Amino acid sequence: MKRLSASLHPKYLLALFLVFSVSLSSMANIFEGGNADNGKTLFKNNCASCHSIDGSIVAAPSLKGIDARWKEGDAMLVKWIQNPTGAIASGNAYIASLMAQYKGSFGVMTAQAVSEAEIKDIMAYVKAGEVAAAPGSAVVDNKCVPFTEEELNGESKSSGDTFIWFVIIGLILGIIAVSSANISKSLKNAIKENSGQELEEELSYGVIARRWMWKHKVFVSLIGLFVFCYIVVVGYKSAMDIGVYEKYQPEQPIAFSHAIHACQNEIDCQYCHSSASKSKHAGIPSVDVCMNCHKAIQKGAISGTTEIEKIYAAIGFDPATGTYIENYEQKPIEWVKVHNLPDHVYFPHESHVAIAGIDCRQCHGPVQRYTVGRIASIDEINAQDLADVPGLIKLTKQTLTMGWCIECHGAAKIDITSDKANEYYQEMHERYKQSDLGLDKLREILEDGSITVKEMGGWECGKCHY
Amino acid sequence: MEELNNTPEFQEAVTSEFKKDQSVDEFLSDPKLSDTNTGRRDFLKFMGFSLTAATLAACETPVVKSIPYVIKPEEITPGVANFYATTYYDGTDYGNLLVKTREGRPVHIKGNKAFGLGNGSLNSRINASIVTLYDTARLQNPKIGESEVSWSQLDSELSGKLSAASSIRIVSGTIISPSAKRAVAEFATKCGADKVKHVQYDAFSYSGITSANQQSFGKAVVPVYDFSKAKTIVSLDADFLGTWLTSNVYIPQYAERRRPEGSWMTKHFQVESRMSLTGSNADVRFPVKPSEIGKVAAALYGAVSGSGSASFEGVDVAAMAAQLKSNRGASLVVSGSNDPNVQLIVNAINQSLGNYGTTIDINRPLSLFQGNDAAMTALVAEMNQGAVGALIVMGCNPSYDWIDADSFNTGLAKVGASVSMNLYVDETGSRCNYKAPDHHFLESWNDQSPLEGRVDLVQPTINKLFNTRQAPESFLVWAGNTTPYYNYVRETHGSGFAAGLMNANTSWNEAVQHGTFAGVAMTASTAQPSDSKIVAAPAAALPDQIIPVSSGSMDVSSAINSVNSVSGGAWELVTYQKVTIGNGSHANNPFLQETPDPITKVTWDNYVTMAPSDVKEQKFNMHLGMQEPATVVTVTAGGKTVTLPVFPAPGQKRGTIGIAVGYGRGKGAENIGKAAYQTGGKGIHLVTDDEKPLPIGQNAFPFVTVKNGCTVQAVYDVQISKVDGDYYLATTQTQNTVMGRESVVKETVIAQYLKEKDKKKGEASFNKMPALVVHRDVNEDGKINAQDKVHVREMDLWKAHPVEGIGHRWGLTIDLNSCIGCGTCVTACHTENNVPVVGKDEVIRHRDMHWLRIDRYFSSDFPSVDETSEKKGLGAIAAYADMENASENPKAVHMPMMCQHCNHAPCETVCPVAATTHSNEGLNNMAYNRCIGTRYCANNCPYKVRRFNWFNYVSNPKFNVVNPAQDDSMRMVLNPDVTVRSRGVMEKCSMCQQRIQQGKNQAKKNGAKIQDGAFTTACAESCPTNAIVFGDLNDVGTENYQRSINIRSYHSLEEIGVQPNVFYMTKVRNIESSEA
Repeated sequence: MKRLSASLHPKYLLALFLVFSVSLSSMANIFEGGNADNGKTLFKNNCASCHSIDGSIVAAPSLKGIDARWKEGDAMLVKWIQNPTGAIASGNAYIASLMAQYKGSFGVMTAQAVSEAEIKDIMAYVKAGEVAAAPGSAVVDNKCVPFTEEELNGESKSSGDTFIWFVIIGLILGIIAVSSANISKSLKNAIKENSGQELEEELSYGVIARRWMWKHKVFVSLIGLFVFCYIVVVGYKSAMDIGVYEKYQPEQPIAFSHAIHACQNEIDCQYCHSSASKSKHAGIPSVDVCMNCHKAIQKGAISGTTEIEKIYAAIGFDPATGTYIENYEQKPIEWVKVHNLPDHVYFPHESHVAIAGIDCRQCHGPVQRYTVGRIASIDEINAQDLADVPGLIKLTKQTLTMGWCIECHGAAKIDITSDKANEYYQEMHERYKQSDLGLDKLREILEDGSITVKEMGGWECGKCHY
Repeated sequence: MEELNNTPEFQEAVTSEFKKDQSVDEFLSDPKLSDTNTGRRDFLKFMGFSLTAATLAACETPVVKSIPYVIKPEEITPGVANFYATTYYDGTDYGNLLVKTREGRPVHIKGNKAFGLGNGSLNSRINASIVTLYDTARLQNPKIGESEVSWSQLDSELSGKLSAASSIRIVSGTIISPSAKRAVAEFATKCGADKVKHVQYDAFSYSGITSANQQSFGKAVVPVYDFSKAKTIVSLDADFLGTWLTSNVYIPQYAERRRPEGSWMTKHFQVESRMSLTGSNADVRFPVKPSEIGKVAAALYGAVSGSGSASFEGVDVAAMAAQLKSNRGASLVVSGSNDPNVQLIVNAINQSLGNYGTTIDINRPLSLFQGNDAAMTALVAEMNQGAVGALIVMGCNPSYDWIDADSFNTGLAKVGASVSMNLYVDETGSRCNYKAPDHHFLESWNDQSPLEGRVDLVQPTINKLFNTRQAPESFLVWAGNTTPYYNYVRETHGSGFAAGLMNANTSWNEAVQHGTFAGVAMTASTAQPSDSKIVAAPAAALPDQIIPVSSGSMDVSSAINSVNSVSGGAWELVTYQKVTIGNGSHANNPFLQETPDPITKVTWDNYVTMAPSDVKEQKFNMHLGMQEPATVVTVTAGGKTVTLPVFPAPGQKRGTIGIAVGYGRGKGAENIGKAAYQTGGKGIHLVTDDEKPLPIGQNAFPFVTVKNGCTVQAVYDVQISKVDGDYYLATTQTQNTVMGRESVVKETVIAQYLKEKDKKKGEASFNKMPALVVHRDVNEDGKINAQDKVHVREMDLWKAHPVEGIGHRWGLTIDLNSCIGCGTCVTACHTENNVPVVGKDEVIRHRDMHWLRIDRYFSSDFPSVDETSEKKGLGAIAAYADMENASENPKAVHMPMMCQHCNHAPCETVCPVAATTHSNEGLNNMAYNRCIGTRYCANNCPYKVRRFNWFNYVSNPKFNVVNPAQDDSMRMVLNPDVTVRSRGVMEKCSMCQQRIQQGKNQAKKNGAKIQDGAFTTACAESCPTNAIVFGDLNDVGTENYQRSINIRSYHSLEEIGVQPNVFYMTKVRNIESSEA
């Protein structure tokens, strides 16, 4: 249902409402009989940036309980919404009292282009409240729900637990073995002492162990060999993980959710990470970028005002009055950098984003289902739907390793030969054609029908290290 | 049993059942440990454990903070550089620049090519000055005595003192800022105009010129010279390419006419005592004693005007005069002498040649170098009489660089209130009781008027780093004017400026963007400066609008008599400014200290230059280097003494010595920056007997004397005596000659070039392609003999790297005719590529890290082995020994040498780990993270351009004094686009790979082919003569490609077949074959 209404073109919706409006306008009470579902969309589009329906203040008084408060009749309410200055001019006492109370903090409402029928739907939604409207939408789709801890980090934790149990059990068995050996020795000695035999010499555990090992040479060396191989394999694997930071998701000073911003609200990545197409850094948005929306949106769905308050504290914004505090000592937000490359690597975002046109998710994975920033593992990246991420190249090496970079450079194709090619590459193509040597080279790299980044020099050290 | 007996040991074991962990540190630091018998094996175990622990600990993800702006300035995109136009003026050097800033911090300086004076040409002193911005040795707060105070405290105490003072004197270098002059004038008015006097002096004085022009033309000015119009240049000891006047503006003018491809080529004569940078570029050079310069000028006047004596022994005056006379109105005679009589004669020569109005403009002169030596001498006398109530020192350092610093200092002690506005507590600052530190120029707003009709703007590129205040603003405050200096500057250039109009004035904004008002017609309605003389005429480019002065001859007979009466001594001394250090204001700049002198190639030191033949005669040490120290001598003249090492400098006139000024800074242990003092092998300052840090070199300013109100920079009678002790000098090049290896540097004379310039490349006699004899009938004459030769390119072990014609092929062409050896590219390369500064101790070991060096070769009397052994009847080995020595008066060539990016690179084949590889764009790449430091590549490099990081220069304590990267503040000058290399890796010129990558990205983003000149290397960008040109050799449209196919272009050491991507262009000297 929700999907249907969302996918309907606003033009059709408007036509629909215009048809109904004639018949609806004759109805007596504007707070009765509206369509709450339509009202929700309308409210979100027109009212939500200032009004809430749950009693909290966003940038104007909440509409909660408006049906009980409003005693001025339907016509005045419609006028008040469609033409506030006109309504004020009409001299209505209640509106005058509202002005006296709120004009100072919020100013005068701007005129809203909603019909009477639409107002009816909105009022139905306001009256019903978010609670009633919610259940329908929650079930349908989980595409914007953040991954759970388990989904992200899998079973790795429990495997760590079992290892500890193995160690503990091994230790217990070892202690039992040593103590039983001790007991049996003491008993033997006791028997010998009783029978007057010569006592066994007092040996250190080391000597005993060495004797025992000498006695069971083959067994010990097999075990030893096994342990050695195990250590080598495990050591090699963990050595290969040095400097690999897959799944790194540090705690951030603000519990920011990409799921809400990038997925639910469909904000483009480059709205916030705006330098990705201009600079080598994608950039972390400055607080003034946050304020573009959060000046109006003062309350979040998950953590309410606590996280958004942190932005205000950084920039010096007073949500109650909706103004910036003068002479405020601004405090920058100390984000933890997630995607760290070694100092000798020069990775330019601009050439990947602006020139190659690669989708952010090719490297950053399903960011729309993360909360704070995270280094996507290669599995997470590969698990993405090809339909979602057009042109996704599935790779095998761990993310943010050089193997991963060059694997992609070996697979990613560049168009230099077609008419649609970037003029820069067309020029390169022309140069190939100018000499026999060049033509040979061109034939060689075109053998598989395409030209990869590698074939244009993308595997050379100096392209990324300088 | 233990439990039964309940022993203390048991009890303890119970209470701490799980033994407490003991850290390795704790364990090893246990004092009882030394008593225990820890064997070698145990020690190794501990070591192994701690290493493993450290390794494992290092595997933890490092937490890196990333802190964005709260409110991002619109013009800043992190990772993208912004350039701001501004102006450099320190009282000596003047340059229009563009400052590269990254995230709001300046990291590199380049010339303002579009709008700058002399096409924005810079020198190393200007582009290395960026590092002093971040110097924490700068004064960080105003001070009264030794205690830091607030500005309001300083102002209130000082204004009392100033109003109480009966006379106030302001001493400064030349002030050319209209607004600063206004501010000083306002201050003077406030205090009572008769009370205040402003005295200007220049550390290295040109008052001889201004005083001569006063006599000749009634104008005490320095004229504007145009070297690009002079077909003949005669320089009488003027180092106009190095330090004389606005040398950085003269360089491009001069170089423009030094290419043989043009319709004519300047013929340049130089008469001088020591070989200056200018002299090393001259076509014909005559060494004379300093006392003889005036006599040569007189003889030249005689020869040109046809009256009086017209010859001088050892100088071909007739040849110079003939050349000058045949180029009347297109010649130029300049003199570096500060004797007004010499300058009068030079004026007369130029006048009779009709050069005024063509190559010299006296009507619209320079505003620079208005220093008045006589006024300064008078001020010092006044101070010593105790007649000065308050002295304000503004951006100059008379306690160090005034020629009679001792009496200035005694006078300063008698001054009631002394104020220093210098950036440092330097020699003068430490003697003043009030310190009102000025901004660095990169933090300032200002205007500068270098010549009448031109105003350039200074704009800040960073907020002030320390609690400083701009000097003119201080004057305003003391004058009771609270206008911020920015507003004050705006008022100078447009009346009725109000803060609300900050961005309203488009012509102002354009001027700020361009860094100058040049080209903007400033009508009377928009510009009403208080001093209408300053900004009057519409600004125009330099060489235009030269108005001839009235003709007629001048009477210089008394001047001639005066110069002819000068008598010389057995030893004469000439003081000079070094190209790197200047007058000493840059003594604390590690980049400049490490940049070799263009002629001697000595770094980090001052020395006595002496003719090699004199050195030999005196039995002083000749072949200085790591093994052989320099002999130390004491030079005495006029009661002043310095003790310095002797450097044998070819080209020096016998019987003369040269000592550079600008050394011996910080004798009183003043805090003028760490790099200003000598550093030993352990990275700490060497100290004198009284535990003060030891200055670098000694101060030669005291040798300068005053005669007829002008300083005389030469001394005609000095004594030299050898003293005990050795001294090691750090030279980057110990070889003087090319030892007959003509394929390194190719040169010819103009006549030969003109005869053969239409031949095919490789066939001219001066630039023959190297060929090898093969056992194959190449010329098909039926015989296999020595005539069967093929070009080295055809004999190759390897398959060709497919870079020619395919994709890009980055390369450089370097014109040896244009390169004057100034070293600007060296410092530009330093700041662009984070080249480490290593200090003197390492330079002595030839571990200098310069990616780009300039080789200087002198000509020898014995150019080749065969010739030499034949001439002298010697064997080859003896012949080589002679070939090492330069001629008595040698010709010089400067050759920038960097990685040649060989397409068949010998370094690449020997690398065991493939850390250095060839790119498909013709570059020899160096992957530091792959390098394991075997140094095979350096051994195999025929050009010796690879540098090995023997130390971690950014953290090793040995370099904490010299290396700016070790200072938390100074390391901000590092280029964030280039890796800071660590110990154990090889590095070398990358041809500014970071700029190439960025430039390609830009082109791809624009979807267009790369335009020629869209980006370039730091060396090519900074080159004032366009000697170095960068470009895509695969693009026939580029200047670089065109130069590479020029008949003069060749590869250095081409015969070894490494096929470099760097071309050199044969040097063509404008001399007759007989003069060669």
